[in-house]
Amino acid sequence: MNLVITPAMVGQVVISGLLSGVLYAMVALGLALIFGVMRIINVAHGPLLMLGAYTTFFLHQHLGLNPYLSVPVSMLVLFGVGVLLQRTLVFRVVDAPELSSLLLTFGISIALVNGAQLAFTSDLRAVEYLTGSWVLGPFAFSKTRVIAFVFAGGLTAAAFLFLQYTRLGKAIRATSQSREVAMVCGIDVGAIHRLTFGLASALAAAGGALIAVIVAIQPEMGQIWTFKSFLVIVLGGAGNYPGALVGGMLLGLVEQLASLFLTTQLSEVVAYVLLVLVLLVRPSGLLGGRQT
Amino acid sequence: MRRLAPAALAAAILALAVYPILGTGYGTRSVLQVFMWIALAGSWNIISGLTGYVSFGHVAFFGAGAYTAGILIASVGWSWPAAALAGGGAAALLALGIGGPCLRLKGPYFAIAMLGLNEVLRALVSYFERLTGGGNGLSLPTLDATVPVYYAMGLTAAAVTLGARLIIGSRFGLRLMTIREDEVAAEAMGIPTFRHKLVAFLLSAIGPGIAGALTARDQGYIEPLSVFPLATTITMIVMTLFGGKGTVWGPVLGAVVLFVAQELVWARYPYVHPLLFGAIIVGVVLAMPRGVLGLLQTKYRLPRTI
Repeated sequence: MNLVITPAMVGQVVISGLLSGVLYAMVALGLALIFGVMRIINVAHGPLLMLGAYTTFFLHQHLGLNPYLSVPVSMLVLFGVGVLLQRTLVFRVVDAPELSSLLLTFGISIALVNGAQLAFTSDLRAVEYLTGSWVLGPFAFSKTRVIAFVFAGGLTAAAFLFLQYTRLGKAIRATSQSREVAMVCGIDVGAIHRLTFGLASALAAAGGALIAVIVAIQPEMGQIWTFKSFLVIVLGGAGNYPGALVGGMLLGLVEQLASLFLTTQLSEVVAYVLLVLVLLVRPSGLLGGRQT
Repeated sequence: MRRLAPAALAAAILALAVYPILGTGYGTRSVLQVFMWIALAGSWNIISGLTGYVSFGHVAFFGAGAYTAGILIASVGWSWPAAALAGGGAAALLALGIGGPCLRLKGPYFAIAMLGLNEVLRALVSYFERLTGGGNGLSLPTLDATVPVYYAMGLTAAAVTLGARLIIGSRFGLRLMTIREDEVAAEAMGIPTFRHKLVAFLLSAIGPGIAGALTARDQGYIEPLSVFPLATTITMIVMTLFGGKGTVWGPVLGAVVLFVAQELVWARYPYVHPLLFGAIIVGVVLAMPRGVLGLLQTKYRLPRTI
């Protein structure tokens, strides 16, 4: 590559990195909640995001609903799907060894992807809504990405406020600190598990709805998000919910910088090396231990 | 029963040895595939069934073996048996390199690190196009070697199963199972846990490496998507779970039963195949986490080294 890298280009990728970073953070917060409360890594998190994207697509296609108005609808639908999954399947492996929960959620994951292939076909779909960018000085801001950033930022903040100040949010945090003590305090742990899985699916759905206007929608779009979300919660520290925000930003930055200085193909490799390094050097994440 | 088992085993081995002479091409190919799954599931069982460290990216060793052999055969001109051994060696080297950092990770972190390893290898293979052909894949010189590969794969499956029998019956195997039950206690009893895990990991990589190399030779063409699929890892895990993890014959039983089931379903319902596979995974995890042999062991007091 004999391309000259100018400071403006670095600034541009930093901006893109931060814009997508908040989106990563929001989706990863869902995975972090499930992991924090139930010690389960939900491999089906990405496919749930895919279902959110399809919900938005069909609402736009058939009812002409504005894709940004469909964000709450997608979230509501997937909240229901999440509660249902927890109620029928996932609750059985909450206390099982991690192999069981990994495999169970993997089974759910391929069933969802294959179900989507059968129901929606593998055709690439797109929600054509907003195109173009806003230009500010030397930098260009893609409109859809900026709006996704605003939505993701708002939803993430709302999720934090919910966890911090409401009774239900406190019950979730209490369950993730110690399930036994939470039970002793009269918290219905099973209900909290269902609520957590529902909320996590809703956050994934919001991510899906927001990227539905950015990238092509297809049944296999989700899996990579499971891995990215996991990376984010490792970077931020598993069980440390604000850490997800830091981890998301960091992942966004690293990916964009890697694609500028190396090639896009190798950005996954860079992210992986980062993952293993962080796990070895700071197993509790960059922000340190479990905080709630 | 005790006298019957060795005789039945000998008869089965004899039947499999003469099968390519009598059987059809399709049959030979199918048995070859069963051998491959036995080698894969049996190898996964050595690291994950015994130590409890869930390798969620074991197909990485299969792919590494396939590409090592593919490059050695296509570019350097090695014969395929030598390339197969080199594939096993390359997988072992990879296990040594990656095991150093990854086996220090616990629980789900190890599982996801292995999952990532697989994705990274796929990205690297696609990136270094000059060596590997990138996304276009790598074609090997044509050679009809199905029958010799059949024997080589059968030998690999037998070696993996025999290795598992020796390990499970040994003090080394007992120590690995101690790590599975309680790693801190194992450490406190003076077991150098890291070294034991690393040796088990290394041993569990050789079989998939050789199997990958033989598959590359048999199919004559490899590409990143075909040798690094996550589904292969999951299949070997589910086979082992179905048969009974931590047992000698569990992976063999699981490989045979699930392969036959898959062939029957695959032929009839190709479109819903993944859906059914997902349902099988969920069913095995929920209904029989200890597997067929695990259930039999608890019910009928079978020996631990079955």
